[in-house]
Amino acid sequence: MALKGLDIFKLSPKKNCKECGCPTCMAFCMKVAQGALPLDKCPYFAPDAVAKLSEATAPPMKTLEVGVGANAHKLGGETVLFRHEKTLVSKNLFAVNLCSCMEPEAIDAKIAEMQKVDYERIGERMFVEFLFCSYVGNGVEKYVELVKKAVAADRAIVLECWDVEAAKAALEVCKDTKPILDGCTAENWEAMNALAKEYGVTLGLYAENLSDLYDLVKKLEGADNKNLVLDVTGKTAKETLANAVIVRRTALKDGDRSFGYPSIVNLTRFAKGDSRLQTAYAAMFTEKYGSIIVMENMTYAEALPLYGLRQNIFTDPQKPMKVESKIYPLNGADENSPCCLTVDFALTYFLVSGELERSNCPVNLLITDASGMSVLTAWAAGKFSASTIKKFFDENDINNKIKSRTLIIPGKVAVMKGEIQEKLPGWRVVVGPTEAVQLPKYMKDKEYAAGAEEEVVVAAPVQEAAPVEEDKPLDFEAIKLKVPAIEVVDMGVKYKGYNPESKTFVTIGERIHCISPVIRKAMDERDPAPILKRAAEQIAAGATYLDVNIGPAEKDGPERMMWAVQLLQQNFNNVPLALDTANQRAIEAGIKVYNRENGKPIVNSADAGDRISNIDLAAANDAIVIALCSANGIAKDNEERMMHCHNMLERGLSLGMEATDLWFDPLFLVVKGMQDKQMDVLNAIKLFADEGLKSTGGLSNNSNGAPKNVRPIMDAGMVAMAMMQGLTSAIVNPCDLRLMETIKTCDIIKNNVLYSDSYLDL
Amino acid sequence: MSFVPKTQAFNAKINAVTIGTGEKAVVIGGQNVLPFYTFDAPIENAPKIGIEISDLAKEWTAPALVEFYAGCETMTDYAKRAETMPGADFLVLHFESADPNGNDRSVEECVADAKAVAEAVSMPIAIMGCKNVEKDGQLFSKIAEALQGKNILVLSAREEDYKSVGASVVMAYGQKVGAESADDINLAKQLNIMLKGLGVAPESIVMNVGTAAVGYGYEYVASTLDRVRAAALAQSDADLQMPIVAPTSTDTWGVKEAVASEEDAPEWGNQEERGIDMEVATAAANLTGGADAVIMRHPAAVATIKKFITELV
Repeated sequence: MALKGLDIFKLSPKKNCKECGCPTCMAFCMKVAQGALPLDKCPYFAPDAVAKLSEATAPPMKTLEVGVGANAHKLGGETVLFRHEKTLVSKNLFAVNLCSCMEPEAIDAKIAEMQKVDYERIGERMFVEFLFCSYVGNGVEKYVELVKKAVAADRAIVLECWDVEAAKAALEVCKDTKPILDGCTAENWEAMNALAKEYGVTLGLYAENLSDLYDLVKKLEGADNKNLVLDVTGKTAKETLANAVIVRRTALKDGDRSFGYPSIVNLTRFAKGDSRLQTAYAAMFTEKYGSIIVMENMTYAEALPLYGLRQNIFTDPQKPMKVESKIYPLNGADENSPCCLTVDFALTYFLVSGELERSNCPVNLLITDASGMSVLTAWAAGKFSASTIKKFFDENDINNKIKSRTLIIPGKVAVMKGEIQEKLPGWRVVVGPTEAVQLPKYMKDKEYAAGAEEEVVVAAPVQEAAPVEEDKPLDFEAIKLKVPAIEVVDMGVKYKGYNPESKTFVTIGERIHCISPVIRKAMDERDPAPILKRAAEQIAAGATYLDVNIGPAEKDGPERMMWAVQLLQQNFNNVPLALDTANQRAIEAGIKVYNRENGKPIVNSADAGDRISNIDLAAANDAIVIALCSANGIAKDNEERMMHCHNMLERGLSLGMEATDLWFDPLFLVVKGMQDKQMDVLNAIKLFADEGLKSTGGLSNNSNGAPKNVRPIMDAGMVAMAMMQGLTSAIVNPCDLRLMETIKTCDIIKNNVLYSDSYLDL
Repeated sequence: MSFVPKTQAFNAKINAVTIGTGEKAVVIGGQNVLPFYTFDAPIENAPKIGIEISDLAKEWTAPALVEFYAGCETMTDYAKRAETMPGADFLVLHFESADPNGNDRSVEECVADAKAVAEAVSMPIAIMGCKNVEKDGQLFSKIAEALQGKNILVLSAREEDYKSVGASVVMAYGQKVGAESADDINLAKQLNIMLKGLGVAPESIVMNVGTAAVGYGYEYVASTLDRVRAAALAQSDADLQMPIVAPTSTDTWGVKEAVASEEDAPEWGNQEERGIDMEVATAAANLTGGADAVIMRHPAAVATIKKFITELV
């Protein structure tokens, strides 16, 4: 098993001298654990610590690099047997077999056929990566000629050759391509090892059975060669699968590194002459542990499914696959066909384009850049908004490329209709169905055309809003004038006050959120009543802070936030607030009118990716910031979470913030879908706490999608476990009595609050 | 120090579900190891192949497929021919044309077809509906009633209709049922629990945990299969030990790789070969992940997968 960063940290000199280029010893150790830096970058590790670590930090499976230039490929380096356990890192590669027994013309023809398959699929070049050149003992000259042709074909090369003399001659011809020499057996290993070392190439080992193969690996490791691949091909498909699985399982599950090398599976040895059967086996070995899969040929019929499968299997489960953002004309669409708009998440694209194709109606599918998120997630993160859509229209020159003015948007983001309409004058924005399966009927029945005539008249005179000048400082006085006067109403609830020095758990009430239609409407209309009602309920239930989510608020963010902050604080004894929006200027404006009597404002939120500048915003305004330990997509493990944590911590500290003003959010994950990641999240909280850092997060995310009666129980269980780990705050629904009582009880048990019989009522 | 491989047979096993009657009855499931891991323990029942026969089969265009069914007019003709297909284990009658948004064929006509087929063939029969919840509900109930005693498999009961389908198909008429979910392991488990709650015996349930053609979001299918099998075997989760039946042809023959003509995609070569390889690769991936039976269409693809299974078990 690879060591955790913190295990390395324990043995580190802890002097933070920065000589290695990292800001802290902790940061250095994290990088070493990830394999990003070698341990010897630090000269201060004690020798016995170095010895201990270099053995332990060796990964369970070697990563090899073969080939050069455009034909350089990475093999191995896997740490798990199944992709859902973490991710698979090195996709399997395909080879086509050539043989010294073939006539020169046949070789040329096969290479020409092989080269035809070369295309792009979702941003990845699909082609045959290797030529697998077999020698059958019919004369060194013939083999050299074959290898010369392979070099000219511009692919990486595997030499399958048991004959030392032929191997040497072939290496002489192709040594600059960094080939694999596959032909080391128990009989010839010393000579082959010498040859591989002389030419600096990877050596392929073959034996009759796994026991012999294991012994052979030991011999080469004894001769100090760990640049190896294992040819696990047996006499039958059944034997080959057994070999491939046992080798990989032995390395990753049992931790025996002698089988921790990439594999070669040669289908031509047991499925020769049957291309369809080879397709079936290639699919199997793509899923089950073939690193290089050797085929007789690679036609488009074989390549299309196999490369598609490979692309799917080797997708990082935590990083969604994206498709290119552009216009996709479907069913023979032209410039007069209506447009359907959605996001670039690959699964969304496949679902929507598939259903649209099924409708047989010509339609232009517009895919916007939403960082590979699904429709609702992208909307909530501000990646799928009227502005991003406007930007997409401008960058792709849609107004000139397409004459139709019908734009169908996903039903799930019906709320954006008005804003999009304003940004795209002349277009008729129509709300489409909420599910892709409803699209064929929707398109066939032309439901989008309903009411077209009246609406166009309304839509035409809309003027484009004046663009916001991004860099200009905000004129707060001018904005203040736009904010309606605040009326103080007696809601019968008083905020009790909060001492930021107190150790009690901080609850941030989440109920004022624009995802709720009631709140959205109230924000739009500056109607205080619904907002005050929810605030009063949450304060009465014991919330420490209130979160104020005003939505993406691209247009009137600053005045919206100023209004909301003043409304809540003036009505509720300066209740402390978390300001929650993707619009930074709105947060800035909110802080300008914020009263700090009960604690600093919280900026919700920054991350280690493109929202990292919210840390700067918090630093400049002496605010607390919620720092999400993720960059693009969910962190894949705690090494990554801690790396993000330290990056953000470093940034905050360098801007003069107190460490305790960064509240780290491990990102709570939904149990229904990511059950196996829950303990990771809890362990991350422990890592924060061990470093004296504060933490928070949207805790109830864990129970998303669970039945209403189950959610409070899951949330209560989660908060108890998280508080045990050291969680100091959470963004919750304070009106959930079970949850709040659990939190109060945990505060008692943690000795944060002195016990009394009435502690639940306080 | 010689190498001794560790084996990994589990104490838990996948349920064995029998469909059909008499000599041609087939058993789906039964193993206590991961798919084709014969080195851990012998595989009790080799995976099975169901042959898809659609009431829209006349619209199929792949030349060798059309040739195979040459002269067939009725669903019974198709079914009798399918029984002769090398590799076939059971027949799957797919009532696509019942779709109210499509041909809206009547329940009575579909039931008559199913009855005629059942009288003419001896292989086990599975039924696939038109995906319209309301129509499928009626269709499944009537066919299950008409084919009582044949021990058919009805695909499938979903979150929306498991109650009515489970109650009629299994409880009233004694047939087998498939529980269908889409790449959602929690729902897959919940559906089985709810079917059992109705009184359905675990041995009467198979699962479809989600399908896709390779290249089309197949990573979700692959991981769901991996996770379902891990739960069933490593965690001994009795609510996920139902065998898996994966409809394959319905996904693969609808994607661009199989549909694009040679004029539209000249560089891709022979269209039928593309369709066959798409079906072969997806079926092989399904079987490798954990499917105990696949539903297929093209005789060449069926022959290949039959060979694949035979060589691996």
